[in-house]
Order: sequence, then C-alpha cells, then structure tokens
Amino acid sequence: MNNRILPTLALVVAVGIFFAYVNPTWSGSIAAAKVQIDDDNKALEAARDYEKRQHELASARNAIDPADLTRLVVFLPDSVDNVGLILDLNALTARSGLSLASIDVSADTVSGAGAPASEGLPSSEMDLAGSIDLSLSAIGTYAALQTFLAGVERSARLLDVREIVVNGSDTGVYTYQMTLRLYWLR
Amino acid sequence: MALPPTIPTSFIPHAASAAPRRFRSDLTGAFAYFAYGVLTIVVMLALGVFSYDRILAASQTAKDKEIKKAQENIDSATVEQFVRLRDRLSESETLLAGHPAFSGFFAALEKILPATVRFSTLRLSQGNAGTATVEGSGIAKSFNALAAASDVFAKDGRIKNAVFSDINVNKDSSVSFALSATLDPGLFAFGIPSPAAANAPLATSSARASPEATQGTAPLP
Repeated sequence: MNNRILPTLALVVAVGIFFAYVNPTWSGSIAAAKVQIDDDNKALEAARDYEKRQHELASARNAIDPADLTRLVVFLPDSVDNVGLILDLNALTARSGLSLASIDVSADTVSGAGAPASEGLPSSEMDLAGSIDLSLSAIGTYAALQTFLAGVERSARLLDVREIVVNGSDTGVYTYQMTLRLYWLR
Repeated sequence: MALPPTIPTSFIPHAASAAPRRFRSDLTGAFAYFAYGVLTIVVMLALGVFSYDRILAASQTAKDKEIKKAQENIDSATVEQFVRLRDRLSESETLLAGHPAFSGFFAALEKILPATVRFSTLRLSQGNAGTATVEGSGIAKSFNALAAASDVFAKDGRIKNAVFSDINVNKDSSVSFALSATLDPGLFAFGIPSPAAANAPLATSSARASPEATQGTAPLP
C-alpha cells in the first residue's frame, strides 16, 4: 500500500507544479517579456537607424557652406520682420533713384505661400511659409524703376512683385504703385 | 519405493501462486518509476522556466536601459534644426520657382514694341496660379501702328491673348487704345535670361495725356 502512495503523491506534486507554476509562468510573464523584448529590439533598431540618419544629415549639413546657410536664413527668415524690410526697401528706393511716397502692409494677409488661400488646398506643406503683401508707391524715372526692380528681384530676402501699376507724367517722372509679397518660414 | 506423483511429499501446503504477486509488484514499481520520472521532469522544467524567466527579465532590464540611453542621446534641438532646414530648403525651392522677374517683361516690351506705339498706363499683376496679366492704355500714331503692334505681339508669342479695345481715333489721327493680355511664364520667370534692359525710358505718360503730353518722355514719331 505504501509503495503506491509515494509515487501517486509525486505525480500529484508534478501535476501541481506544472499547472501552478510552469504553465502560468510560460504563458504569462515569459510570453509578456518576450513581446516586450521584441518591442525593445524594434525600438533599438529604430534608434540605431535614427542615429545613422542623424549622422548622414549632419554630414550633409556640414557639407553646406555656412555662408550659404546664412544666406538661406536671410532668404526665408524665421520671422516676418517687415519693419526691417521696409527700411531695406527705403534704402533700395533711395539707391535706385526712386522717391518712396508710402509703404504699408496690405490688409489681407495670405497665410499659405505655396498656393493662395482662395484655392482652398489645405496642406501642411503650404502652411510652412507665411506671407504678407506690402503696398508701396513711389515716384521716379523709368531707369530708376528698372534699377529698383532688379534690386527687388535679386533681393537677398525673397520678395515677389505681385503687381506694378505705372502711371506716366509729362516730366518723365512716373508714379508707381507696387505690391510686394514677402515670405517667412513659420 | 517410488511414490506416485499425486501423493504430496510434505504436509506443509505450498503457496497458492507466486506469479501474480510478482506481476503486481512489477506494476507498482513501474508506476513509481513513471511518477518519479514525471516529477523529475516537471521539477527540471520548472527550474528551466524559472531560469529562463530570470534571463528574460535581466535582458529586458538591459534593453530598457539601452533604450533610455538612446532616448537621452536624441537631441530634440538638433532634430528641430534638421526639420527647419529641410522646410526652408523645400519652401525656398518652391517659392523661387514661382519668383517673378517683371524686368524681363519690360525689357522685352522695349524691344518688340514699335516706336509708334506707347503706353500711358500699365498694370502688371501676377495671379495666384502663376499666371500674369498685363493691362494698359496707350496711344498709337495710327491704325497701322496699332496693327503693327498687334502683329508684333502675335509673332512674339510671349504676350498672349492680346486684346486691343476702346480704340478711338483722336483729332490728330492718333489712336488711343486699351490692351489686356496674358504673359507667358517664360517672360517673367526669374532665372531665365532676358534681354538686357535698355536704358531708354518706357514710353509712358499719364492716362489722360494728350499726344503733346507724351512728348516729354518719348515723342511719337
């Protein structure tokens, strides 16, 4: 009789250990840990890719002449700074021989630079750059206008001439109304 | 004298049967082997699972630390710089592609417009879709001069859809007119070489100027 009790007890203990510890641990904490480790491996792989990409981008950026980067920031600045631009335009008109009569920010501000707001193309790409229009009027000769236009077109800061209205006079000194659009990176 | 085999040799009785008892004993032994074997396997399995669990936990802890370190190595300011630079480059490229240079139009107009035709007002505007229009009013010496201007615009091809309207003959036989046209993008696109701007003034005068008034700038032939 005793010969059978101990093996039976051993079997019961074995079954108890299996169902009370082995199976729950395998399908519970071990399975969860494996999933977590897989996620961690993916995250680490992404981190390695990021680091590699960062080095590539840093190399590409370092390959650009710092002066060119500075020019790029001037070309499309981080802020509107229309006051500074007005000062620059005033200086340009003076150098060109034009007499600046007035300059002001137009009432309607265009939000997206890539396309007009009226076209209704909501896109994050289009909202990267903001723009506003400056209206100015000036008086001067046609040669002065040409010089001024050349200066605006080749301005270090991007300036688009959206509209020019030329009105003549008897003296060869004309009146100009212009609308200039300036941009900045939002 | 030999005893017959049917007569027992002793009065002590023999055991009923030894074979069944031996069989039962073997079965109990096999069951014990099986039970102990299962217990041994399960205990070893439990030890293995315990060890594996510990190893995985240690591995997970190490990887968590590694991820935390990798996260700390990510400089958000650097990322922001890269993003801004990318945005600036792409936007600058887009904007520069649509950057107008109307000096090219003026240079072309000086070159192709007959000297017998002049504008007194001129309005150039760039549309949002990248198109540009020109509207103006002016005076031609005669109908033939106006026809020549229309012909020149048609042949040049860069001043498109030129429509002359409000054509009136003045007392001095000159013809006043209004013009509306669209411009070819190549005529005002920045970066496309345009003819060098002449220093000669554009023949503009006031909108209501008489032919005498225009003589201050570029007299009609």
